[in-house]
Amino acid sequence: MTADSVHAGGDPRRLLSQVHALSRRVRADRRVTWVALLVLAVATFVAIPVDWFGMQVDCAAGGACRFNRLGSLYFWPPALLLSYTVIAVAYRRVARSRGVDARVLPYAITGAALTGVFTAAWVGARIYVANHPPAPDAPPTADWILLLDRLVAPAGTIGVALLVLARLERNLALLAFTLAYLAIVLIPITFGWQMHTSVQAEFLPSQVISGVVLALGAAGFALARRRQR
Amino acid sequence: MTADALHPVTGLDDVVHQRVRLGILTIAHEACRVEFGYLRTQLQLTAGNLSQHLGVLETAGLVALEKGYEGKRGRTWITLTPAGTHALAAEISRLKQLIARVTLDDQP
Repeated sequence: MTADSVHAGGDPRRLLSQVHALSRRVRADRRVTWVALLVLAVATFVAIPVDWFGMQVDCAAGGACRFNRLGSLYFWPPALLLSYTVIAVAYRRVARSRGVDARVLPYAITGAALTGVFTAAWVGARIYVANHPPAPDAPPTADWILLLDRLVAPAGTIGVALLVLARLERNLALLAFTLAYLAIVLIPITFGWQMHTSVQAEFLPSQVISGVVLALGAAGFALARRRQR
Repeated sequence: MTADALHPVTGLDDVVHQRVRLGILTIAHEACRVEFGYLRTQLQLTAGNLSQHLGVLETAGLVALEKGYEGKRGRTWITLTPAGTHALAAEISRLKQLIARVTLDDQP
């Protein structure tokens, strides 16, 4: 085995195509996308009972209910920070075991920053509602406010951080997955599954679906990785 | 004759314009830090051959070698220096210019 086993000659086209092929191979070897998606899926599933049992619900005699998702508030910020730490460490370890270095820190920092945005938005909204309680005959909340609310909610911030990861990895498959995930979370798409038995149950379909989508994504990327090897 | 009018081949750096060394620089650039064994596998080289090429690149100041241990196993990590990053970018740019020149020359 000699240097001649890398055939590119002096032909600029072949040299350039060798450069591109090697770059693609290294990029693929640095990716541990399934780990990130699996960690986030686990966090999403753990959040479901926390949200359910941690929610304060106050229903009036007329049937109108006010709720306060305290469980989510206390669970998600530390859970997201822990998740991004686990992902960063796992990326680094796996990439190093393969012989390359990981470029995952900007993703973890973005995720942590978005966690701060989520917490600040939640606290800000809570203070606003406490000072400006909605009138009983108030019109329904505007669609763009609901969309913004979902974007800064944990599921939305997970999607935005995944966009950063897709950019870092130059991973088109992850980009496509993330756009689909964001569409499901932001619209939101529940595939016709709705539960109106309680206030807690209203949130269940979207939570389960976003967790399942992340878990399926993790499985898909893990399978794709195994096939590549 | 200005520098722009020179044929791109005149600007090629002999240290970089060699397929194995270009491969090393490419991998090191993409990987941030790359292990010796990974380079050997990807470029299908013997340890001795790879060491020779790394020596050339290190002497030229294009890569930095860092030896360490992982458990009891010795490992060598290779990092691209800023000069290496610049040299790789210049080489790729010249290759593109060459291809463009050849394509133009091929046209009737």
